[in-house]
Amino acid sequence: MDTLAVCLLAFFAAGYFVLAGADIGTGMLLPYLGGDDGERRLVIAAFAPFFLGNEVWLVATAGVLVGCFPVLEGELLSAQLTVVVPLIAGWMVRDAGLWLRGRGGGRRWRAGCDGAVVCGSWAVALAWGWLLAALFSGTPERTAATPVGAVTALAVAALFAAHGLGFAALRLTGRPWARAHRLVGRTGAGRSFTLTAVLMGALPLFAGPALHPAAHAADRATLTLLVPVLLAFCPLLVAAQAWTWHTFRHRVTHPSYL
Amino acid sequence: MDPETLDLARLQFALTAGGHFLFVALTLGMALVVACLQTAATVTNGAPHQRMVRFWGQLYVINYAVGIITGLVMEFQFGLSWSGLTHYAGNVFGASLAVETIVAFFVESTFLGLWIFGWHRFNRWVHLATIWVVALTACVSAYWILVSNGFLNNPVGHRTEDGTLVLADAGALLTNPSSLLAFGHILGGALLTAGFFMAGVSAYHLFRRTDEVAFFVRSLRIGVFVSFPALWVTAGFGGVQLASLTDLQPMKSAVFSGKRAEIAELQAEMVTRFGPGDYVPSEVWTRGGALVMLIAFALMMYLSLAGVVLACFRKAVQRFRLWHVVLMAAVPLPYLAMISGWVFREAGRQPWVVYGLLKTEDAVSGHSPGTMLASLITFTVLFAALAVLNGWLLLRHARLGPVETGLGHDERARAEPATAGPPPFTPRY
Repeated sequence: MDTLAVCLLAFFAAGYFVLAGADIGTGMLLPYLGGDDGERRLVIAAFAPFFLGNEVWLVATAGVLVGCFPVLEGELLSAQLTVVVPLIAGWMVRDAGLWLRGRGGGRRWRAGCDGAVVCGSWAVALAWGWLLAALFSGTPERTAATPVGAVTALAVAALFAAHGLGFAALRLTGRPWARAHRLVGRTGAGRSFTLTAVLMGALPLFAGPALHPAAHAADRATLTLLVPVLLAFCPLLVAAQAWTWHTFRHRVTHPSYL
Repeated sequence: MDPETLDLARLQFALTAGGHFLFVALTLGMALVVACLQTAATVTNGAPHQRMVRFWGQLYVINYAVGIITGLVMEFQFGLSWSGLTHYAGNVFGASLAVETIVAFFVESTFLGLWIFGWHRFNRWVHLATIWVVALTACVSAYWILVSNGFLNNPVGHRTEDGTLVLADAGALLTNPSSLLAFGHILGGALLTAGFFMAGVSAYHLFRRTDEVAFFVRSLRIGVFVSFPALWVTAGFGGVQLASLTDLQPMKSAVFSGKRAEIAELQAEMVTRFGPGDYVPSEVWTRGGALVMLIAFALMMYLSLAGVVLACFRKAVQRFRLWHVVLMAAVPLPYLAMISGWVFREAGRQPWVVYGLLKTEDAVSGHSPGTMLASLITFTVLFAALAVLNGWLLLRHARLGPVETGLGHDERARAEPATAGPPPFTPRY
């Protein structure tokens, strides 16, 4: 049961980095990809139907953590509070910008929301880098020191951006597509995206062992009930998400609701 | 444990959970109302219902979005500042949170995306199914959260092993009266909030004599006829909960009734059981919360009774301007009742975080007051900004009335793409 619980944790964490990493990365590149208000709206439309379904993988990761590894959840989040608070704050600012962009009026409102999306996306990516730095150096009980933390944060943020770039090159049309295409260069959008997806998925898998999750698993009575329920739901969740990706699989040529 | 850190952590939890709860109250109710409206629209395949789905759905989505954003904080709050709780009770308390995220919220979010962006893409019956999945998983979500909260209020189904709690009886945990009664109470309260909201917004348009008379006459009636039964369901579950307190949490019950002798007796009894300490919750918050809730209930009851009679006459619905003003002014009442009822429930069980087992002061993480204060300020500022934005946007869209843009607008209907440029790759799918 412990092993299955660890697999669930790895599954949701890797899913989050691969899927949400793409829309966070695209958000980071919004000023580059979108030259004006209309173009930026198109860039957002590239991930609009997916971003809520993407970020929910992290909510699920936190759910598995609190359910199957409650002690670990408390210790990790409390120890990393100074990194986790900016991460959540950035996430909130980014989501507010995305959801509310099309609802207010006026160009300045939309420019402000675009700013929120960009700053929030960068904050999330950098905070992830800083958090991962602590795990990579094997000290999850305290935040990473400045040089190591800062360098890892920048490297991870660059990976997020590259992942977003490949995603944008696969999803967009028109001028925003041309900009993404120029940066991707001869690698090709498909190959570039596959490579960054593998790297993004590997991030939590390499960082995870530092937490020794198996040693922190919840009591057997809890896991025997909880893990089968969660496992049984996984195919359904994957099917629902696959349906979303299938429905909105075409490149975007028009803005959407956001 | 630093007492200042404890106070700051409690304040942060109260503000964030309370803030989130107010968004949820409207979202949960509106989800069900919008799902019913869309059912009518799908069955009749008529334009009037279709427009109602889009107008009320737009307001629902705005409120939902902000609710989700505030909910993100809740998801991490226990780990961030209450690691003592996950350490001690995580085996029992964490499982329901895990099930909530995966069985309910994950599905809900995925289908919300399908519903919002799937307009004009799906067959109308499939599109209807997506909103029903969203509405029902929202209810399931509320149930699992209340399993967690019910356990904190009335811990059942557990035993103690090596100083921590382990799950002993899942059935007892899932059928905890403290969870089930609260679930009924919240569901009723959410529909009540949605009903008052619909009636208030509709009254605004009828008062201002905007063009959409038939649209808002119908909406106002829906609001009134939803809120009336919802009020009685809420009150019924509330009454049973209040009665059950004498067994489950006698101290809260005694503070609520202001029985000094009984409070002193219970305090002495708890000192002998749990050791020295103050076991009396704050009277201001506990009793005050309950009284505000009861006053709000009484006001809503009279309004609702009168409303049900008035709503039967079309002339009154369309022309009775004084009633319109009252309906607009009454929109905050369910919110007031919800939040004060919640304060009563949560403040009244102090000093316990897990009733009778773990004190709040023993659950807080070991942060310095400075760190806790920084986190409190960050989240409070964000929540306040979001609450203001939400209010402003709801007001803006409510005043706009049913318009062509926004939710459900077919963006592909435009003649030219927003951005012209080099031809795209042929998608390889």
